[in-house]
Amino acid sequence: MPRIENDIKLDFKDVLLRPKRSTLKSRSEVDLMRSFTFRNSKGSYRGIPIIAANMDTVGTFEMALALHQFTLFTAIHKHYSVDDWSEFASKHPECLESVAVSTGTGDSDFEKISAIVEAVPQLKYICVDVANGYSEHFVHFVKDVRQKFPSHTIMAGNVVTGEMVEELILAGADIIKVGIGPGSVCTTRKKTGVGYPQLSAVIECADAAHGLSGHIISDGGCTCPGDVSKAFGAGADFVMLGGMLAGHSESGGEIIEKNGKKYKLFYGMSSDTAMKKHVGGVADYRASEGKTVEVSYKGPVDETIRDVLGGVRSTCTYVGAGKLKELSRRTTFIRVTQQLNTVFGNC
Amino acid sequence: MPRVDADLKLDFKDVLFRPKRSSLKSRSEVDLQRTFTFRNSKQTYTGIPIIAANMDTTGTFEMAKVLSKHTLFTAIHKHYSVEDWKHFSADHPECLQHVAASSGSSNADLEKLCAILQAVPALKYICLDVANGYSEYFVEFVKTVREKFPKHTIMAGNVVTGEMVEELILSGADIIKVGIGPGSVCTTRIKTGVGYPQLSAVIECADSAHGLKGHIISDGGCSCPGDVAKAFGAGADFVMMGGMLAGHDECTGEIIEKNGKKYKLFYGMSSDTAMKKYVGGVAEYRASEGRTVEVPYRGAVENTIRDVLGGLRSTCTYVGAAKLKELSRRTTFIRVTQQSSQMFT
Repeated sequence: MPRIENDIKLDFKDVLLRPKRSTLKSRSEVDLMRSFTFRNSKGSYRGIPIIAANMDTVGTFEMALALHQFTLFTAIHKHYSVDDWSEFASKHPECLESVAVSTGTGDSDFEKISAIVEAVPQLKYICVDVANGYSEHFVHFVKDVRQKFPSHTIMAGNVVTGEMVEELILAGADIIKVGIGPGSVCTTRKKTGVGYPQLSAVIECADAAHGLSGHIISDGGCTCPGDVSKAFGAGADFVMLGGMLAGHSESGGEIIEKNGKKYKLFYGMSSDTAMKKHVGGVADYRASEGKTVEVSYKGPVDETIRDVLGGVRSTCTYVGAGKLKELSRRTTFIRVTQQLNTVFGNC
Repeated sequence: MPRVDADLKLDFKDVLFRPKRSSLKSRSEVDLQRTFTFRNSKQTYTGIPIIAANMDTTGTFEMAKVLSKHTLFTAIHKHYSVEDWKHFSADHPECLQHVAASSGSSNADLEKLCAILQAVPALKYICLDVANGYSEYFVEFVKTVREKFPKHTIMAGNVVTGEMVEELILSGADIIKVGIGPGSVCTTRIKTGVGYPQLSAVIECADSAHGLKGHIISDGGCSCPGDVAKAFGAGADFVMMGGMLAGHDECTGEIIEKNGKKYKLFYGMSSDTAMKKYVGGVAEYRASEGRTVEVPYRGAVENTIRDVLGGLRSTCTYVGAAKLKELSRRTTFIRVTQQSSQMFT
């Protein structure tokens, strides 16, 4: 008989941070930089731990150039060629410390990252990304990547439960990507019924990872800067953004004009759109698990980044955290039934 | 004094599957076929146990032709004549192993059912369908049908609780239809206040049925492929779909054009629309218990079927079930407050 876990799992929308006494005088005093040393690669990292997602519309070289200015990170999508990488590396060597190369788990994927890492030796991060991080094949793939690249920092996912975070860390991954189905253009939950509310997933997975000196990325589900703060508050070491970074000049794809308004296309990486673009269509044994939306064109990403960082700084002052590092220790979530006053809409 | 059952009953939207370790490499490795031997008829079934509902818009011969190609099942609605059945069975004998003839519980219904089964001996499934499976009269009707047709597999319902599932199985039914009020065009819950959240109904009824080697159909409440997966995960042997199959070429009814967009009519079988069509209107002593909606026209049902089966295969890989049979054993549901991101809706 199926089992039901009765305690309710929570999403970002189900909580708010409770304010606490604070000695900070201004948001400007808050330090968002974090330093990590990774468990398996022994590599060290310093920066503001927000990552642009490895989607072909968001994880672009252009995004990496803009985000690097703020010490943010970009997981470059896997569809650039080795030549694209060589060219980017020669023009912008300074960016390489804040980007990762992404890969799936196919044999050709492995060959391609090997070629990219050989062509760009300064590259230190590999992001191994599959929809279902629970497959045995994926664990073996992570082990193979670790063996071939002993000193590269490996991000791996996606999973949503503690035991699988532990398994992947012990298999050689340094940073585990957490999130199944929370993304704005992800339809996995509708197509399969599988998923885990993101706040609970982050709390549980962070606990598992930190116990082994590993790290996690909260991947998906952030719709506003407050959600980014909640992810950090829940214990995420990094927060990955897709939809929030879509629609900017640095995002992939053309600007579409309709009735005098400008849009850009944004879509999940298992959507019809992405599968048509990269593999010629949806295979007949599977369903598309992503949607395609037109998001309003928002211009350069700088403004959005300032907005996100300003929001997170403000969160820190509300709970009295002088550094981002202290945020999760100072976090008390209260459960709520609505996020904000909706008299004038949801924005 | 009224009693309140304090534990919360759950709908599909209240849960998600927790992913589990899996040794599957690809969704293509998942086997969705199931084989059953039924308790009372002793007949054997093999196929993908998804059923088009016996509504006059979805339980059509046209639907059966497409669905049987994928080994899916169709409960043919009860408004076809004996002649219609003769033509269909002569033209498409290959479909007959994947269809049921439906019937209400009146004498006229029984006569028509007998005539159809006599005319089409290859037909092996009977679907006895009433809004309220709790009536003593219905139990007697099931017994009568079982007596007349000892070797036909009988589906009967609808009910939502274990004790009534047991009663119907012991009265001769093989497969119990579970669901009161969950359907997309059903208004029973609003008109009467009666109903049972579908996920809990399926879990409880499956448990009762399986204890007697009976089977159940989760009937109603599926709004997306994930819900179909949840019904199977909860223990349903079959899942019946109405609204998810509405609006296709294979559905009865004309395409309606409005402002350049195409629609098809879909309605509950106790709605004004259905009652006007078949019994000349809503009787004075009763309320309509269904609504009528215009659903966007969706073309061939083939694409929708692929989408549902693809989703179901993906669910199986997420919980490590190589066969649909294993899905409910590998299922742990977690309780949630929202299904998916509302950012771009």
